[in-house]
Amino acid sequence: MVHYFTNAVGRCRRLFILKPHSGMPIYRQLLEQIRRMAASGQLPPGTELPSIRELALKHAINPMTVSKVYTLLEAEGVLERNRGKPMTIATPERTQAPLANRLEQLEPHVEQVALAAQQLELTEKDVVKALHNAWEKNDEQPVHRRTRPR
Amino acid sequence: MNSPYIAAHGLGKSFSGKPVLADVSFTVEPGDVVGVLGKNGAGKTTLLELVLGFTPATAGGVQLFGYDSYRLPGAAKARVGFVPQQDELVNQLTAADQIGVISSFYPKWDDTLVGRLSQEWEVDLTQRVKNMSVGQRQKLSILLGLGHRPDVLILDEPVASLDPVARRQFLEQIIEVAADGNRSVVFSSHIVSDVERLANKIWILKDRRMFWQGDFDSLKDSIVRLHARSTRPLPASLEIPNALSVQRDGTIATAIVQGWSPDMHDGLARQLDAELEIEQLTLEEIFLELHR
Repeated sequence: MVHYFTNAVGRCRRLFILKPHSGMPIYRQLLEQIRRMAASGQLPPGTELPSIRELALKHAINPMTVSKVYTLLEAEGVLERNRGKPMTIATPERTQAPLANRLEQLEPHVEQVALAAQQLELTEKDVVKALHNAWEKNDEQPVHRRTRPR
Repeated sequence: MNSPYIAAHGLGKSFSGKPVLADVSFTVEPGDVVGVLGKNGAGKTTLLELVLGFTPATAGGVQLFGYDSYRLPGAAKARVGFVPQQDELVNQLTAADQIGVISSFYPKWDDTLVGRLSQEWEVDLTQRVKNMSVGQRQKLSILLGLGHRPDVLILDEPVASLDPVARRQFLEQIIEVAADGNRSVVFSSHIVSDVERLANKIWILKDRRMFWQGDFDSLKDSIVRLHARSTRPLPASLEIPNALSVQRDGTIATAIVQGWSPDMHDGLARQLDAELEIEQLTLEEIFLELHR
């Protein structure tokens, strides 16, 4: 069972493949497919998603399952809710991962710095100051925004 | 927060001292689609009949729209739809007359909906019930349960006699009801794949009790088959938390684990000194494993 839909300009056709009779819950299948397609750019920002009812009927699945996926992806910043209009794939600025996730990615680096600072018998204040200087220095250089793969 | 449409507490039923259902509690919220699973004789039909107030409870009780279901006022009755396992159609009537009889009980009968569905489902309204096939009778019976647009729709094995096309049409209709968001469906079925598609809540009845109930997604996420492979023989008594069953054969073991979460993986792998592989189960497999 596949589902096709078109983006705002009606060009790209995409599909979901949902297998209810699989060990993976349907919501996770749909969640991961939309997430992957948005991340890879297969579903470019602005792509309109089918309505909850439409998708549920097409795949003969519970509308709440679709609604749950849309809500989760909206919270993640992958989807954008538009008043009275279909949900769309969010623009890249909005697809930023939640703070907790980004902090988690930073954690190993911070641990390294903390460990090195302790071994060098530096104070917390020294480290914060050094970090501040490094931050300022970086800011002077042109910053390349993360670009999305085509 | 809306109050639940259905709320049962400590519900039980005995026939001449013999229990057929014991200590069942649950709620059904607006928008819920509940799939009721259980072997034959597990108490599914009794449970649905108690909810409908067809029979008094012998323990606890069940409320429908806030009323004791056995003493349901007429206005609340009009908000309930029921499709029984054995249809209660009148053989001598034509389908149209049968619809006429039932619709006369409901002030808010939706002729347009019933007309459209009888066409889509190819129910010949001029045919007498006694000349209908089992599948046709079942379709008509479902139409009669849907026609007054009930807020709570209860179906007992509604699709057993339907062909795959008719079953899909039926599923689409249930989705329409669920998409409303303010209506609920409770249905028992042996067709696990339908339950898998539709239900957001699952009740599994076993030995006349509610064996498992909850969110369907969490059921699928939490019950897994775990394969352990070690380089050394595994101990005869494997310490696997929440295991429903464990089979061990030398260096290999397989267990069904309830309440699994991915963060348990590394700890257990170290503890067993084994490589673990987690296999997710289909609803049918879960059902079979729970009945071993």
